[in-house]
Amino acid sequence: MLQLKTTPFHERTSALCQPRNWRKWAGYFAAGSYEHTLDREYWAIRNAAALIDVSPLIKYVIKGKDAAALLHRVTTRDIHKMKVGQVVYTGWCDEEGKMIDDGTVTRLEESTFRLTAAEPNLRWLMMNAVGMDVEITEVTDDVAALSFQGPNTCKVLNIVAEKPVDELKYFRMMKNKINGIEVTISRTGYTGDLGYEIWMSAKDALPIWDKLMEVGGDYGIAPVGILAMDVARVEAGLFMLDVDYTSASHAWIEPQKSSPFELGLDWTVALDKPGYFVGRRALEKEKREGSVWKMVGLEVDWVGMEDIFKRVGLPPQIPGMAVRGSLPIMVGNVQVGYASTSTWSPLLKKYIALAHLQKPYFEIGTDVRMEITVEHHRQHAPAKVVKLPFYEPEWKKK
Amino acid sequence: MTINQYDTIIIGAGHNGLVAAAYLAKQGKKVLVLERRAIVGGSVVTESFGEGFTVDSVFAGGSLRPDIVKDLKLPLPKSASTSPTAPLSAKPAFISLQPDGNHLTIDAESIKRISEKDAARFPEFVRFMDKAASILDTAYATIMPRLPMNFGIREGYGLLELGLELRLAGRKDMLNFIRALPMTAQELLDEYFESDVVKAAIASVGIHGFTLGPMGAGTGYTLIHNWMNRGGLSHVNVGKAGEITQALANAVKSFGGEIRTEIEVKSIKVESQIAKGVILANGEEISANQILSSADPKHTLLQLVGAQDLPPEFVWHTQSIKMRGSVAKIHLLTDGKHGIPEGTLAVAPSIKYLERAYDAAKYGEISEKPYLEVTTSGNVVSIHFQFAPYALKKSSWQIEGLKVEKLAIDTLAAYFPNLKSSIVNRKLISPLDLEQTYGLTEGDLNHGQLMLDQFLFMRPIPGWSNHKTPIDNLYLCGSGVHGGGGVSGAAGRNAAKSLK
Repeated sequence: MLQLKTTPFHERTSALCQPRNWRKWAGYFAAGSYEHTLDREYWAIRNAAALIDVSPLIKYVIKGKDAAALLHRVTTRDIHKMKVGQVVYTGWCDEEGKMIDDGTVTRLEESTFRLTAAEPNLRWLMMNAVGMDVEITEVTDDVAALSFQGPNTCKVLNIVAEKPVDELKYFRMMKNKINGIEVTISRTGYTGDLGYEIWMSAKDALPIWDKLMEVGGDYGIAPVGILAMDVARVEAGLFMLDVDYTSASHAWIEPQKSSPFELGLDWTVALDKPGYFVGRRALEKEKREGSVWKMVGLEVDWVGMEDIFKRVGLPPQIPGMAVRGSLPIMVGNVQVGYASTSTWSPLLKKYIALAHLQKPYFEIGTDVRMEITVEHHRQHAPAKVVKLPFYEPEWKKK
Repeated sequence: MTINQYDTIIIGAGHNGLVAAAYLAKQGKKVLVLERRAIVGGSVVTESFGEGFTVDSVFAGGSLRPDIVKDLKLPLPKSASTSPTAPLSAKPAFISLQPDGNHLTIDAESIKRISEKDAARFPEFVRFMDKAASILDTAYATIMPRLPMNFGIREGYGLLELGLELRLAGRKDMLNFIRALPMTAQELLDEYFESDVVKAAIASVGIHGFTLGPMGAGTGYTLIHNWMNRGGLSHVNVGKAGEITQALANAVKSFGGEIRTEIEVKSIKVESQIAKGVILANGEEISANQILSSADPKHTLLQLVGAQDLPPEFVWHTQSIKMRGSVAKIHLLTDGKHGIPEGTLAVAPSIKYLERAYDAAKYGEISEKPYLEVTTSGNVVSIHFQFAPYALKKSSWQIEGLKVEKLAIDTLAAYFPNLKSSIVNRKLISPLDLEQTYGLTEGDLNHGQLMLDQFLFMRPIPGWSNHKTPIDNLYLCGSGVHGGGGVSGAAGRNAAKSLK
């Protein structure tokens, strides 16, 4: 029988999680939310400081003479160009150039890297490491991780951490101490806001949580579950494995697979990097010939929504959280794609979606219609293709 | 560093490499063959281990497919291009050694003394085997499409021809052929013969060179395979293996090709998944438009190319190729008084004996009661010893070599008491020697076991049966690809023809 594991923060998170709405995340219990509505948690991400337990992220330490060569071969990024202390976001593909998973690569030392993934990838890494001098260790259970997101997080960290984090640039990592305990802090996250991820030994998890909660009290800190994060990540234009795309390693049929270009990851595919990497030939071909699909942003027209709901005598009804469900996208009477996650954006005051559209409908500004259900009847609300991300505050990268 | 430009570089001057080289040189290509050893021939070679001690060191004799001899106008003795359909009586004897000294020649006449019934069935068995061998020969002449990938009309054309050939073979023979492939040699022979002695003698040919027992699935296929290569049960041209490869080397040169010996290829130079040339052990680089490797697929892909330049699933499949060599050769120079008759002699007294000999190999052990096949060439006695697994569980070949040599001699001397006193000199070739001297990974004579999951479009690995590799301009032409296994030249011929 599958037994979900608990994270190193469970003693704290379980005491705080009022709705008991545990979600399954990579084999762990993860709090859906800590309160019965998401508002306070969402606004903590956007206006204050959100503390999110992201320990279920699958983590590998890749070490040895050929560690960089292995990641260079597996991922689409030019890993040899990475500096120690740098973090990159990347996807990785099969030989047909279809995405298997995505995550971050951190160069902890010259020949030591940390790779995060949504799903287990050990066999894939081993298969790629044939003939290489490299040691791959899964550290998911050993390394606890907190995502600390929101405009106030820098101030809180400057108080609790031994070294200030002011100088820590976007997608850089530093070694630091909190409460005298060694941690690494990276300026990364899954919300599109100012934010950090704090990595620590599992045994040190609780004192660090306590310290952040104690000091963060003055800065509006709130423990935040993955439901509020789901809203924020859509606003940030960030997709999720198994929700917005299917891993090539367990897709049933070809059309279920996605290339990094189709997911808008053009900027992560370093076709100019030297040597072989998995999927290179297929990706070069797709780059040359153009992609047939693209993931884009969709803004549903509110006035159009009002018109449709008015027919049954209602104002527009929107789900109170991000919806991980496929919604058909139409042009005329023809389906040209689907939305994979849709949500109300409390900050933008817009109904937005991550949508996968066929050529040529993925061009910015294209008018489409998205399916909505109005009193049990299927209707199509007018929408427009927009650039991702939907929301990008100036302090995200500054 | 000198840089030379060739159309084609062929790695390895084994018989398949030379066949491919000769075909390509004949087409007018500028061909260079590179051989690590001082002598050409690979495993099809006659060499000297001392004064008067000249012997076919790996394969005992052999012959090329008749079309190759014809295409390349090779001046080989007629028997070297014997058609498999030639009457069995025209070939050297195949003799099953009997403990009572009353050795049994396997032909319709001689086996009467064991079983009238078996003798009556023997001609029908030979007819079926010759037919099956000719069907297999046709399959081996058909370049396999890359099933299950990219199966297009153009690639399917060869299969259509093969299908036609199978139809022409007659419905009954075709069905029996297809049915025989996955059968065990024992089951196949049960359908023809009642005598265990007869069945065991024939079954031994089915396991010769393979790490399989006669009760193993697919030994029906390997029996047909060896029958095809030998043109029956016994070896032909024993002591003349080297003449085949010498004739091929001369043909390569006469067509304007170049052969360099004592040149070891260290790696294949790859840029952006395209083969550019080879890098030699001395650091020299030689560039060419095409590289053909007659080395085994595992060595070619994992050592010469390297896993780093290959797709992960391809690497996994390549790593998974079953090599599993378990043959040792023991050559004895005698004073001529060994008392062993001419022909191909087998120590294969019963099916169970053979199966038990194989059992040892499964556990990484040397057969205590081995299956032997013996050929003589003048004063030299050659023993083919099975099973002597490359991967020994508890010991190493540095330690076990002498044990196998003694076991081989003791086993054979039990039938020929004069053998021991006649021995003047001896030479053991262990599976480790086969790897280190002859470049056969894990000592596998066939560059990969001829198992049902490693034949036809699954040889060398599924999806890559058309001589190509994920590296553009790099092709496989050795025994490890479809058509290969044993002495025939089909793999080299097919590779050269696939380049059109």
